[in-house]
Amino acid sequence: MAEQYDVIVVGAGFGGPVAAKRCADSGLHTIMLERSRIPGEKVVSGLVIPIYGFLFGPEFIREGNPPLERPIRSVMNRFVKNGEIYDYDHSLRLPAPIAVGYSTYCKPFCTWLADRAVDSGVELRTATTVVDVIKENGSVRGVITDKGEELRSKIVIDAGGTQNNLSIKAGIRKKFVPEAIELYMIWDFEMAKEDVDRVFGNSMEFFHVMPEERIGAPLGYGSALYFFTYRNSIHPGMGQFLVTEGKIPNVAKLLREYFDNFTTKVRRWREDIAPKVTLRAVTWDVCPIYAGLIREMREMPYFGDGMLIIGDAAGFESAAFGDGVPSAWFSADIAAGVALEAIKAGDTSRSFLKRYEDRVKADPFIMHTITDTRRWDMREVLKSKSESELKRRIRDHWGIGAFKYKYLGGPCLKATGRSIKNDAGIVAEWLEMFRRYYRNWEEDRFDRLSTD
Amino acid sequence: MVKTFQDIPGVEWVEGTGNFITIDEEKCTGCGNCLKVCLAGCYEIVNKKARIRSTEKCMECGACWYVCEDGAIDFSWPAGGTGFRTNWG
Repeated sequence: MAEQYDVIVVGAGFGGPVAAKRCADSGLHTIMLERSRIPGEKVVSGLVIPIYGFLFGPEFIREGNPPLERPIRSVMNRFVKNGEIYDYDHSLRLPAPIAVGYSTYCKPFCTWLADRAVDSGVELRTATTVVDVIKENGSVRGVITDKGEELRSKIVIDAGGTQNNLSIKAGIRKKFVPEAIELYMIWDFEMAKEDVDRVFGNSMEFFHVMPEERIGAPLGYGSALYFFTYRNSIHPGMGQFLVTEGKIPNVAKLLREYFDNFTTKVRRWREDIAPKVTLRAVTWDVCPIYAGLIREMREMPYFGDGMLIIGDAAGFESAAFGDGVPSAWFSADIAAGVALEAIKAGDTSRSFLKRYEDRVKADPFIMHTITDTRRWDMREVLKSKSESELKRRIRDHWGIGAFKYKYLGGPCLKATGRSIKNDAGIVAEWLEMFRRYYRNWEEDRFDRLSTD
Repeated sequence: MVKTFQDIPGVEWVEGTGNFITIDEEKCTGCGNCLKVCLAGCYEIVNKKARIRSTEKCMECGACWYVCEDGAIDFSWPAGGTGFRTNWG
């Protein structure tokens, strides 16, 4: 049977549209399938996309006007005991228009990405759930949708997110172990822009505690309690790993208890924030934050005959920061390049597609960020009960120390060198991006979305 | 039909998901891990076996599937265009 498509991309979250767009730009007949009605409406995350995703990720994002909520120029780490802030670390601060990252809601951003893919000629089919792969002689040759339709392709790119059902059905990967998975809960509050400006500024904020405080699973056991700040809303959230000290705790109960404790005990919330906010949404999801730290998970393949797996589905989630978007973009870009080469060569076998793995491993960020042990190591600090060690580690994790050479500094320098080698004008492009993003934020003016 | 719930604001559920989570009663040992991680209250234990009470508030996170040590829970996706949706993720 003749193949209907060159490439099928499954999932229109953060990674899928990037892969699909690059495939279409290269002249490949590409379809992207998304189970939700509108891209991004099932993507649940508090989200500040770190700057290295924008600087070293796809050019079309850097040169575009994506729907950003707020440039995040600093990270405020607050240390709390008995509901009172007893110290803080605000060492990571950048002057405008430079930013450490940009906050965004998933639905508009994923829609914006999908719109760009469609502009490039990608066929987007929403409200379509992929239920299985088509396999012939051990090779993936397409997918089957929930409507029973068989769509065939030379290559399938799985951008299905954490639950990675498709790569499991294809026999390439196994389910993540629960030790790798964090369940996080997010509360979205409306807050007038001038109040967000006054209370938070252009900062994201963390509340760090010893475990006995019970106002959030401390870094190591979870994500601490964080506030992502948006244009006229705030997004407090917290995560807890599904396994702590070898046991599965009552995560559902804990997350609610922690947030209740935070909102009743912490004075900053009660006095500075609560009087100015209105609850708008509560959501939750899981992500594979520790996947790269667990050998069995790290060594699982992310490609097979006729199939490439990107982003969270491949476990490319930053173990230290919990952000998956940059690696979703980087792996999407690499996968699309490999798909093009494979289709041109007429060889979509596993042995040809191994170059995807080689390039992922050579990427300055992906392997580095999935194997960064800083968050994992925090558990030892918490056991030691040493407040000075907690503060030192947080400065190294979420403060200025994050950019030490052995942490993000090294990959950033490598990626900068590589970028300048490819395009001497890239630095000017970066500065222009910072200026334009900042102007867009100040004027609240972004590209129109297909859903507007 | 679209449903909303007061205790989970900002989220809508479109009906017609199909049985996207199933429990193999033979394999289930009633350990209760699924109850511990489900923020939507989808599960209950009846006669020492986990049972799906309702998936009407399920946010399709799959935490139950990850913690099922018996391999009794099968997790797939709801039918296209159904299940939860939100503007605020």
